Amino acid sequence: MSLYVVEELSARIGDTVIVDTVSFAVEAGQCVALVGASGSGKSQTCLAPFGLSPAVPSGSTQLDGVELVGADAATLRAIRGRDVGFVFQHPLTALTPHLTIGAQLTESWTRSGAPTPSRADMVAALDRVALDAPEDRLDQFPHRLSGGQRQRALIAMAIAHRPKLLIADEPTSALDASLRAEIMALLDELRREHDMALLLVSHDLAAVASHADSVVMLRDGRVEESGPAADILAAPRSDYGRALVAATPKLADSAPALPETGAPLLHAENVSVSFRRPGWRRDRLQAVSGASLALAEGEALALVGGSGSGKSTLARAIARLGPLDTGTVRWRSEPLPERKRMTTHHRRLIQPVFQDPVASLDPQWRVSDIIAEPLKHLRPDLAEWGRAGAVKQLLQEVDLPADFADRFPRELSGGQAQRVAIARALAVEPEMLLLDEATSALDVLVAGRVLDLLEKLQHERDLALLFITHDLAVAKRLCHRIAVMDAGQIIEEGPTEQIITAPAHPITQKLVAAS
Amino acid sequence: MTASRISLGIVAIIALAALFVPPFLPWTHSAIDWDAVRAPLFSTGHLFGTDSVGRDLLARTLVGTRVTLAVALAAALVALVIGTAWGAIAGWIGGRTDEIMMRIVDGLYALPFMFVVILLMVVFGRNIVLVFIGIGAVEWLTMARVVRGQVIALKERPFVTAAEAAGAPANRILTGHILPNVAGVALAYLLLTVPQVVMVESFLSFLGLGVQEPLTSLGILVKEGADDMDIQPHALLIPGGVLVLIIVCLTIAGERLRDRLSQ
Repeated sequence: MSLYVVEELSARIGDTVIVDTVSFAVEAGQCVALVGASGSGKSQTCLAPFGLSPAVPSGSTQLDGVELVGADAATLRAIRGRDVGFVFQHPLTALTPHLTIGAQLTESWTRSGAPTPSRADMVAALDRVALDAPEDRLDQFPHRLSGGQRQRALIAMAIAHRPKLLIADEPTSALDASLRAEIMALLDELRREHDMALLLVSHDLAAVASHADSVVMLRDGRVEESGPAADILAAPRSDYGRALVAATPKLADSAPALPETGAPLLHAENVSVSFRRPGWRRDRLQAVSGASLALAEGEALALVGGSGSGKSTLARAIARLGPLDTGTVRWRSEPLPERKRMTTHHRRLIQPVFQDPVASLDPQWRVSDIIAEPLKHLRPDLAEWGRAGAVKQLLQEVDLPADFADRFPRELSGGQAQRVAIARALAVEPEMLLLDEATSALDVLVAGRVLDLLEKLQHERDLALLFITHDLAVAKRLCHRIAVMDAGQIIEEGPTEQIITAPAHPITQKLVAAS
Repeated sequence: MTASRISLGIVAIIALAALFVPPFLPWTHSAIDWDAVRAPLFSTGHLFGTDSVGRDLLARTLVGTRVTLAVALAAALVALVIGTAWGAIAGWIGGRTDEIMMRIVDGLYALPFMFVVILLMVVFGRNIVLVFIGIGAVEWLTMARVVRGQVIALKERPFVTAAEAAGAPANRILTGHILPNVAGVALAYLLLTVPQVVMVESFLSFLGLGVQEPLTSLGILVKEGADDMDIQPHALLIPGGVLVLIIVCLTIAGERLRDRLSQ
């Protein structure tokens, strides 16, 4: 008999069925991955049986022979404290900000009925998850830890009481690529060592591929297909599975033919940006120090690096949308004026698309006004009716129906909102697009379609792209060259193929290995 | 949501009654009925009875409510206009300007405000306009802080950067993108400012520093009722009840709206 058996599990919130007759089993020491697009019921499948979600479960789930569905709150609480550990997506929100790491670790320890751990026990526990300087960490508050360190601390708490089953709900989605690999490796190691079952929830098929023994693919709360991980990912049987696998860019994919590049377009030299730190000590944080990059007509350059490496700050400084301390930016050998002096002509050259599609649209404005905004300011030659016609055409170009013009941003899905943002950026026919993590907030399938759209536009419009991303596979699909940033500096730059096959700098090597 | 609707409905009914009912009453708020001094509740011609000099309490309560609400609304609007402008400018410009402007607000906060209003009354005499100005001049401080915080948060949102990339000049970004998104929160605090001002006005009137007789306000009625409460408690309980109802209802509505917008 398996350790954790889920049989015909359903869950509903009100009248809406979130999970529909899902069945699978996890053996001790095995890793099962639940994959699917967002909203497919992955998280609810994991959380509902343990009473951790508003959804009401029915059917059967047994952990080590104990039935969870229908169990009373006290029983579930005992099981949660003793037999199961949870690791969640957002390491910051999952830690209580006003308690030290040590206090939170003690709590998860004693909740399982164990005696209060000694300091040495706790240091050993943090050491076990490879958290550096564990002795000091015990007395620190969560805000002192970086994202990766927080996730390690959370894992230490989740496994402190030696659970039989560890449930990890998107444990690496909030982390950057190299940290992802480290955390996944840690989870693998712990699972083997303690013969612990691991239920992994992820939308990232690439992460799942190398770690899970078997995969359960969910769609709209139902099991679309399931089986050994290698089989499913290599040859998915369902259309949905094929779409999901195909939409995940892989580093091993052959690079598509990219458009020809032309004359030099943009040249940024020795760009430095610093920010004043808040508080009384008026020291400054050097976000970008002396970075240079160049872009030719129709060329796509990927700017990759970990979070906090200064990618966005550099790109914004170049596009004159953010502060800049020193450095020059030339456009076709003419200097680009500073931020406050940008003329209508200059603003038309570079248009941005940001990461969070919903936040980049004013919630009070209609789609038609949002797309027409740059036209109004940067194309004064266009009359009112000319703008309306242009909006219609732009909606068509980004594959949105014409009646979307009257909608408000809250009536759009993430992918649709990002298309509107792209339409706005294209409205004034810029020569260069600044794409700041333009697909990373989107779901796999949606991100795949937005990438298709960008590829189409790149070929049709002869656009130069500055593509900020942390995903090398995405960079490979669109970009001629890759520049790698770390700690505010460009540490390596070269043709995409060369960076991926023969990375020179150790940080690049780590980044490539993690992808 | 329903709680705030019911609350707003109650305030609306009280306000409409205060505005439109008095002309149809047999007695005005200042007329004295010599035959019915200290009439009890539900006596003929005087539904709420009369006060110690024979003035109709129903008419006086309605007119008092009208004055109190007018003062409150005017002061809250002054607070809205000054507070929003001050907060938006400080938050939008930022840096040194922001620090200076907000330190001024902090400084004004530190003044014992009731003392300032009383001082104004003593120096310039009792005048209803002064009540408006005095209260409005103090109530905008909170509004300025709230609006500044909102503007700073909105300024970092990508849609504002997108508007800059779209070539929108700074004043257009402020009026077109920032202020419309602040409006909801500002409205919620407006609703919360009104009951505060009602309290302040009633308190000043209770001290005899508010509006002048024979014009009345809820605060004056409560004071007169308190003087007489061992003889006819309803003269205190009726205007007091209306006052409490208005304050509680507006506070509930304002807090609900604020919570809904800050989610």
